[in-house]
Amino acid sequence: MKTIEEQIWEYIDGELSGKEREAVAKKIADDNAYAAVYVEMLELHQLMATVELDEPSMSFTRNIMDQVNLEMAPMALKTKVDKRIIYSLTAIFLAAIVGVSWFTIAYTEFPSLSLPSFDFTMNVKQFVNPLTLQIFFFIDILLALLYLDRLYRSKKA
Amino acid sequence: MQQQTDQALITAVLDGNSAAYAELVNRHKRFVFTMALKFSKNREDAEEIAQDCFVKAYRSLGTFKNTSKFSTWLYTITYTTAMSFLRKKRIATYSIDDEENHLQLENPISSYQANDIEKKSKYVYLNLAISQLLPDDAAIITLFYQSEQSLDEIGQVLNMESNTVKVKLHRARLRLKEKLEYLLKDEVKELL
Repeated sequence: MKTIEEQIWEYIDGELSGKEREAVAKKIADDNAYAAVYVEMLELHQLMATVELDEPSMSFTRNIMDQVNLEMAPMALKTKVDKRIIYSLTAIFLAAIVGVSWFTIAYTEFPSLSLPSFDFTMNVKQFVNPLTLQIFFFIDILLALLYLDRLYRSKKA
Repeated sequence: MQQQTDQALITAVLDGNSAAYAELVNRHKRFVFTMALKFSKNREDAEEIAQDCFVKAYRSLGTFKNTSKFSTWLYTITYTTAMSFLRKKRIATYSIDDEENHLQLENPISSYQANDIEKKSKYVYLNLAISQLLPDDAAIITLFYQSEQSLDEIGQVLNMESNTVKVKLHRARLRLKEKLEYLLKDEVKELL
């Protein structure tokens, strides 16, 4: 059971449904006790609504910005985790799983099933030549430059 | 010039324009300071709390998910920071329900002459009454009347259900009315 005050506050705050609102309005009109509480509550409500906020000192914003400038720049979480890294890792793990699965199946003898077998021995020396070394170093230098560029940009920000 | 939304300013800050944060501070500093003042009861501490809130908000801006208003998120930080401040400082608080404390309260205007009382603005009495409320009551009243937050949003700030907020708000307003009556005695009839 709600008290008179509770009903009046809900009425003033506009939180009553149509029928409830009508019922309370009728009580305020007919019942002196309700009317007296309503007048008091409404005055307080209106007074509260006109109270102004306090003002901090003139240097308030400047003090905050001085502190903020010493902090690391905030970054959105989505930019912290590059999706390309996630996709690359997924691709590596998928390739590893497929490779291991294929190797296992290829070297397992099934009595009624014959799968193609692969020769995994490879001559590495045939890939090591001046051209491949140049490509390798070129990619390394490119990655280093990209990293330095990113580092410089983040420091600048 | 069209005013940028809070979200646009946040995006600008996250894109490296930290100066845009000053605009966010200017928009919300008055309410954050007012809230802090309700807990600390003095301007110096309130400024310290409010500044701390804005610096904390800046550090965590990247985690703001935009599922609520920036102001609601900021006021949550304000409330928790102010509560931590209270715990640290162990400010003595009192309740109007506490009969002993109630009797010990000194009426700050009792020594005033009748003419002085008349000259006082009604806001002075109201602010005085609010300042004598428990910090939680003062905070809930300030949030409801001065922050343009719904009951749900106030619940989010105070980490409670909106129904609980409604009950607490109701009690806080009754206490405020009692405080005003106590402060003004007969004058309350003219005020209310």
